[in-house]
Amino acid sequence: MTAASRRAPANALPRILGPIRPRPRWTEARLLALAAIALVVGSVSLRLGLEGEFGLANAAGLGIYLGALGLAHLAQVLAGRRTDQVLLPVVGLLGGISLLLMQRLPQGLVTLGEGEAALGLGDVQLVWLVLGIAVTTTIAIVVRSDAWLRRYKYTWAAVGIALLLLTFIFGADVAGQRLTLRLGPIGGQPSELLKVILVVFLAGYLSENRPLLIEQDTRLGPLRLPPLPYLAPMVAMWAIALGIVVIQRDLGAALLFFAVFLALTYAATGRLSLVVIGLVLFLAGSALMANLFEHVRDRIDIWLDPFADPLGAGYQIVQSLHAFARGGLLGTGLGNGLPMVGGRLPIPEIHTDFPLAALGEELGLVGVIAILGLYFVVIQRGLRIGASAADDFRAILATGLALIVGVQAFIIAAGNLKVLPLTGVTLPFVSYGGSSLLANAVVVGLLLALSDRGVEPPPPPSSATGWRRRIQRGSA
Amino acid sequence: MLATTSRRRPLGRTIVHVALALTVAFGTLAAAGGYWAVIKAPELVRSPLDPAVIQAARTVPRGTILDRDGEVLARNQKDANGELFRVYRGESISQVVGYASSRYGRAGLELAYDAELSGLGGDPVSDALRKFGTDPYDPKDLTLALSLELQRAAVRALGDRKGAVVMLDPRNGEVLAMASTPTYSASALADPATADRTFKALQEDEDEPLLPRATLGRYVPGSVFKIVTAIAGLGSGAVTPRTTYAEQPGAEEDGLVVDGFRIRDGHHLFTGSERLDLVGATQVSCNIWYALTGLETGGADLVEYAERLGFGEPLPFDLPTAISQVTNGSGDDPGGFVDDVELANAAYGQGETFVTPLQMALVASTVASGGELRRPRLVTAMTGERGTQTIGPHTVRRVLDGGDAAAITEAMVAAVETERGQQYTSGAKVPGVTTAGKSGTAELGGRGEPHSWFIGFAPAEAPRVAIAVLVEEAGRGAEVAAPMAGNLMELWLDSSE
Repeated sequence: MTAASRRAPANALPRILGPIRPRPRWTEARLLALAAIALVVGSVSLRLGLEGEFGLANAAGLGIYLGALGLAHLAQVLAGRRTDQVLLPVVGLLGGISLLLMQRLPQGLVTLGEGEAALGLGDVQLVWLVLGIAVTTTIAIVVRSDAWLRRYKYTWAAVGIALLLLTFIFGADVAGQRLTLRLGPIGGQPSELLKVILVVFLAGYLSENRPLLIEQDTRLGPLRLPPLPYLAPMVAMWAIALGIVVIQRDLGAALLFFAVFLALTYAATGRLSLVVIGLVLFLAGSALMANLFEHVRDRIDIWLDPFADPLGAGYQIVQSLHAFARGGLLGTGLGNGLPMVGGRLPIPEIHTDFPLAALGEELGLVGVIAILGLYFVVIQRGLRIGASAADDFRAILATGLALIVGVQAFIIAAGNLKVLPLTGVTLPFVSYGGSSLLANAVVVGLLLALSDRGVEPPPPPSSATGWRRRIQRGSA
Repeated sequence: MLATTSRRRPLGRTIVHVALALTVAFGTLAAAGGYWAVIKAPELVRSPLDPAVIQAARTVPRGTILDRDGEVLARNQKDANGELFRVYRGESISQVVGYASSRYGRAGLELAYDAELSGLGGDPVSDALRKFGTDPYDPKDLTLALSLELQRAAVRALGDRKGAVVMLDPRNGEVLAMASTPTYSASALADPATADRTFKALQEDEDEPLLPRATLGRYVPGSVFKIVTAIAGLGSGAVTPRTTYAEQPGAEEDGLVVDGFRIRDGHHLFTGSERLDLVGATQVSCNIWYALTGLETGGADLVEYAERLGFGEPLPFDLPTAISQVTNGSGDDPGGFVDDVELANAAYGQGETFVTPLQMALVASTVASGGELRRPRLVTAMTGERGTQTIGPHTVRRVLDGGDAAAITEAMVAAVETERGQQYTSGAKVPGVTTAGKSGTAELGGRGEPHSWFIGFAPAEAPRVAIAVLVEEAGRGAEVAAPMAGNLMELWLDSSE
């Protein structure tokens, strides 16, 4: 019997709104003020760089964005929950950087609507960012129980697989990848949502079976493994990851899913043998894919030596490295980089795949390290929420959510810097794109909700809790 | 091992492990950022593929290029549409200065110093400071060591023959002239009105006028390579200036047999049964003495000393250079020789030995400077709005000691100054000045006339100029290259002091 199944009374449906008792959030307020100052200064600097005039680059856009952040803060103060106060300012700063970047890039990269009312890249991104803030805030305030997540884990898994299949069957091909699903006027990339569903499922599965996975052994030569039937999900995950590569041609998502899965399995069981087997499976799968599929092999060849064909296959990554080089230590300054040749930006798909290179040029190595540092803070907060969570499900869920952001940021940053082969995942909170922003907004919202130590009494503990108290004391 | 139940540890520990893994991952990213943005940046931001370089090329006037006396070699001009293009001072400098064309890219110094000329390059400090200024470009004017007058004389001397002349100042490595023929009109390539026609004609020309023979041409050296063998033999201690070989006079008539291969000589008429030493063998260009010296030195030391002179890798130079080689390294013998036959042949410059004219000028210059290899320098100063940055002389390494260099100088002087030697170096002597030199006649294995070579320097007691002359398929070194070298050295010594 596990914690999840012992409780589960029929009336444990989510309580939508609790009694309202406002609680000040001074840390969040101060950090938000710092982020706002940074963004205003950035906007002035951008205007100076682009037009040589003093003022805000796009006062209305930035005003709306900062206003939305302020409202999110106020809403949480009113809601009175004792949730994390660092996540929102940090993610808000990343989103603000995204807004400045999208306002700075040629607006014609993306247009929505027609004629006078057409929205350009910066405006569209602003809409998604504000929607994202709304989603995060709503989840952070409203979600007071995780029963709806933990009780229906297989349902969630089924939804995820259904999304994958739907995309495969009805999806539209864009640039050789089948990632986009359209339902009437609304289009989106289901794999963005899929990663959240995956973590929810894994948290349910791993927390339920944790005792079994840890305590029972099957010996396989020198390896000591959990009972073999419990390895089935690992093989299934592997198959799904390969399926994503084959069907969707989305190497980045496959890499992300598999890495998050391995890290979570390790976090839940502490078994290195599982990680080793996972890595062996990963290498075998990669070798198989590289042998079978030309596009996979091409990616790897380009990664190994992009300078072999700097004007053809290696163009994107070579231009990305040039952008980092032009930025140097301090950067060219906002609005002064990204030289256009023949009316074209130096890097194709800069707004989705290479925002870090663009920021690396204009903000320099200092800026890149600062941005990586912001992601690191998100990860650290997420893992801390996990480590101090009241039970295994919440701990694994929070860890997984933090990993989604961290691993995805790592994969695309590594692709931009030629540390890993380039894959088309987005830079969380920064890349242009509604699906990505909204999915990551859900992640942050769930993390905030999970961080609340004041509302929902945790389910009866399934193991000693002394360590959790220690960590809570240490982190308070 | 702990009891079964206690293996079920709390989650916090493993989460810390995950955090550590992510820390390492993000640390790697920061390190990669530093690698590209700082360590590799100077190379990337100067690349002609960089959009900033391309953008600058279209809008910013390039720096001018001047010779050592301030003569303008390359300047800008505006066409009818107001776009800038380059104009060059005649055809003699094309192989050195190259061209900057909006359609056909860049070559020569225009390519090598593209970033500096278009105002993007600079040291990291001024790069960082520039970002705070309003004008991001600071085009640099280049001052060359080259003398336009001497360069023109060298191209004129080569005439309509294919070949190369490299003249260095052995005291500081300055490149005084670097001629390659046939040459071409860089101005016609840079001018948008004539670019297409010119480029097409140049591409179809079988004489390859676009090839800078002085730096990228690789030729069989023939006897001029004997100076390298002498450097290796003396430097490694395998021979002394007094070394003679018992078998040498005897073999003069029928040739020296090495592993069944017969090495022949043509000076028996003058030397008879004389036992030759370094001076005697250099005077009459004795293949047998040098083959025996090569065998005595051994392949490993011969290759090692050649590499000290710059063989085996691109030369440290302003322009790209082809790699000179003693052997192609396919064999298992020391140094990569196939057998003693190849080693013996290489020792007098045949075999699988290939050299660039610039490399041979460096050999002469190294002997002239008393044994030190100095980096050859074309660009001596870069002048921008923030002042002038000079590029001073640089000694790469000491190749051999002064005593050995003096012994080789003595032998090279004998080859030019003595009556016996002048049969091989006629006309190389600069009147009134002690001249040192060595000619070469590089056999091409039956295909046409041999390449004509000469390397040397003057005045022997205090050298101010070192030279290498190569004329493709022009016959004996004594007849073509040697008098050309003598005249050019004379011209330089007369005009420079």
